[in-house]
Amino acid sequence: MSDERDTAGSGTDPDADPAPRPDGGSAHAHDHGLPPASSVRRWFLTTNHKDIGILYVVTSLFFLVFGGVLALLIRMQMWEPGGAVMSGLAYNQTVSTHGLIMVFWFLSPFAFGFANYVVPLQIGADDLAFPRLNALSYWLYLASGVLLGVSFFQGATFAGGWTMYAPLNIPLYTPQVGASTAVLALLLFVVSVTVSSVNFLTTMHRMRAKGLTLRRLPLFTWSILLTVWMMLFAFAALLAALMILSADRLLGTMYFATESPGGSMLWTHLFWFFGHPEVYIVFFPALGAMAEIFQTFTGRRLVGRKWFIAAMVLVALQSFIVWMHHMFLTSINLPIKTLFMATTIGISLPFDLMVFALIYTMLKGRIRFKTPFLFAFGGLVVFILGGITGVFLGAVVLDYEMRGTYWVVAHFHYVMVGGVTALVGGLYYWFPKITGRMYDEFLGKVQFGLYFLGFNLLYFPMFVAWETPRRVFDYPPELLPWHRAATVGGFLLGISFLVMFYNLYTSLWNGEEVEGNPWEFGHTAEWAVPSPPPLENFPGRASYERGFLDFVDRMTADGGEPEEEADGYRSPLSDGTGARPDGGSSTPDGGVVTGTGGLPAEREEGGMAVSHAEEPSHASIWPFVTGVGAFLTLVGLSGVQGGSLPGGIAGGFYLGTALAGGLVTLGALFAMGYESFHAPEMAVAERWPFAGVENTKLGVWIFLASDVVLFGAFIGSYVFVRFAYGWTEWHIVPHNSLPGLINTYLLLTSSFTVILAMVAAEHGSRKGLLASLTATLLLGIGFLVNKGIEWAELLHEGIWVDSSISASTFFLTTGLHGAHVLAGLVITVYLIWRAWGGAYLGEEGPIEYFGLYWHFVDIVWLFLFPLFYIL
Amino acid sequence: MANTRLYTAIFVALFVLATAQVAVEIAGFVESTYWVAFGGIMLLSLVKALAVAGYYQHLVYEPRSVTYLLGLGLLAALALTIAASYSIT
Repeated sequence: MSDERDTAGSGTDPDADPAPRPDGGSAHAHDHGLPPASSVRRWFLTTNHKDIGILYVVTSLFFLVFGGVLALLIRMQMWEPGGAVMSGLAYNQTVSTHGLIMVFWFLSPFAFGFANYVVPLQIGADDLAFPRLNALSYWLYLASGVLLGVSFFQGATFAGGWTMYAPLNIPLYTPQVGASTAVLALLLFVVSVTVSSVNFLTTMHRMRAKGLTLRRLPLFTWSILLTVWMMLFAFAALLAALMILSADRLLGTMYFATESPGGSMLWTHLFWFFGHPEVYIVFFPALGAMAEIFQTFTGRRLVGRKWFIAAMVLVALQSFIVWMHHMFLTSINLPIKTLFMATTIGISLPFDLMVFALIYTMLKGRIRFKTPFLFAFGGLVVFILGGITGVFLGAVVLDYEMRGTYWVVAHFHYVMVGGVTALVGGLYYWFPKITGRMYDEFLGKVQFGLYFLGFNLLYFPMFVAWETPRRVFDYPPELLPWHRAATVGGFLLGISFLVMFYNLYTSLWNGEEVEGNPWEFGHTAEWAVPSPPPLENFPGRASYERGFLDFVDRMTADGGEPEEEADGYRSPLSDGTGARPDGGSSTPDGGVVTGTGGLPAEREEGGMAVSHAEEPSHASIWPFVTGVGAFLTLVGLSGVQGGSLPGGIAGGFYLGTALAGGLVTLGALFAMGYESFHAPEMAVAERWPFAGVENTKLGVWIFLASDVVLFGAFIGSYVFVRFAYGWTEWHIVPHNSLPGLINTYLLLTSSFTVILAMVAAEHGSRKGLLASLTATLLLGIGFLVNKGIEWAELLHEGIWVDSSISASTFFLTTGLHGAHVLAGLVITVYLIWRAWGGAYLGEEGPIEYFGLYWHFVDIVWLFLFPLFYIL
Repeated sequence: MANTRLYTAIFVALFVLATAQVAVEIAGFVESTYWVAFGGIMLLSLVKALAVAGYYQHLVYEPRSVTYLLGLGLLAALALTIAASYSIT
């Protein structure tokens, strides 16, 4: 970024401000220990939500190009029946990876780039609740994407379709090392998503500006709130599916084997329990962006706003009870097919409401046909078509005919890429906010023309040529013109993105400078600060207590009424929606803070000087290092197949890489825990419904809720497989329940000692604390040793993970639990180390938070013990 | 929150209930009346889990929303398990 642009929007005299503005918004020394934005180091160290947002957007656009090139390869192969561009395996890899990249590595991260940048601004927070975890999410995301790229060079990447259906997903059918790497890459991506979900949920429920109740939340933030709730539970099911698949691929368990009683049906249940909410996970942010853009460019509040929100809530809930419509062609019974047909048709109703709300908003408002609006409107149009054609697939009898054809391909591209269309509108909409420069409107409209034409030329012929079998590059010759048209459309769509990249890149350097809010009716809080915003976002504490956004002195942040209003920082918004009381018919009247100039500098002379005199550092290298460690670990593990490594140098390489990666990860996590990092809770905030539960504790609880689904899916898989096998014919693996009972005693006692540790910390007893934690450690080690002896005996008898499906479920489920115990013990060692130095006395929070995790592990065992040892 | 006597009483109860589960097995109920034994043993597990969650994890002292949060996760897992298992009947 240029120094010239960095001074844009500050309003201060650039000559009098020689210090480069590292964040592009704030002058002077508000760098929070971060190097300037022009330095590469900045981007490895940053934990600021705006920086992370930019990293997400840029990285996801890279993956758009990656996935887009693969898409063009697919279309080239489809130029003529039978294809001549690629071999069968290459085509299968291309189709599979195109889907994986677009759904996982492009679409959601693209949306979460905006979420990272915009949500804290819209809710009046300085940053996310856990800034370093936010950086960690990004680095794990990038590491997972690089890992996917690496998989192409390990024989072949995964070639069994993006849905990874069993049994194609096991080494018998996809034997290449790269296929395992792709599975592990997706697993790492899911870990990143889980960390992100915990962070966003804690932030949005605990860090909203005073007065910003959920009802008043801006629509984009609402859409993200519901998205992360869906992500929390849906991705936990996918995590379970991928862990089981990884075990099948690397260790040789038999969950998805052809002869397994659960087999392919188990995978489809686990995958689609995640997969259908995933449709809304990728579409909701687009819907939120659409709603914001419609409001801004029609100049009026969204018609039926509260019903729009209610409809989104309903869809988020319903999304978890429709998954079996993806399974109408499997052997599930007719009553459940009928039930899921009804729930599927039912989910279209709230969408109808949302669509009509958007249409009516256009009718009631006065449309300004700027590029963001064109894309948002285009997104709505194609989504309507995508939605209607999806209802066909929700009907059992039609689905029998259309499943596995290009009708499905056309339908979900109209929905998913419909979402992309609206998010491209979001990119144009927030580009001036992020960069402080305006894009070229003419080129934006040119791109829209090419995009909309290319989109429909690409996907509409697929409806006409619907009888083409999906994932197969052969088709009846009479469908040739339609496929050729689609290929031309694909290239046109690709060219439109080149226009966008050119436009945005040149505008970044030469675009017209933006003072703050370039949109006549942009009223959400992100427009009430300079473009780009200063590092600390706001010139004071954001508050909506008086019905509009204003900034009050942070020194009054004691939970009481604001005493001092910061002059000139007032943004008379009607409410948290950003909509104006007059419906947007009047011109902006100081509704934004832009142009007031040098806000942070002015504040420095006032009340904020104190808080900035000793700025805590917001720089941390450890999230990046953790990402590197995770990448190396999974590269190493990818070489394992059937529980063993290849011989020779390759085996040594994989083993060494895994060990090195594990050490780096562990070291980085320890360093992150020990590092001093200041991310205080907001003293005054809206916190419904989690008032009274501090941020870290809520974060732990939210994580545990996702862990409930993870273990629930593991136990559910066991129940499903055993049910398919015949419940009472099933053979329990352990010969007697004694080892399990001993472990129950050990774990229950360790839960008790953790409680005693908390009591000792509360009472300030260092000795008691150390004794209790050490006892917990020893009991946990005892648990693992006992389990080790039990497993060794079973192995001695020839019973191992690949002996039978019952052995697979026993070893994997109790193994996952054992891994949780091990992770807990690592944390216990850290706690003992810190307690030895005198930590936690009178500040028992960390002990209590660890206890929540440890007791949860205990609870899980309370169910595993009877299920795997007695019944 | 720090009520050591209560925590100790719960610990003893958990210990006894875990032993009771194995006693049901040793008494031969799993062999003779499987589904009754199944119901009884799982009920004991549920009681133990509620005791740990309620008192060791302090859920009874937290805002009810935290319980609902975990309940949502549990509901999702149960929905998946029950519907998936029913689908193959």
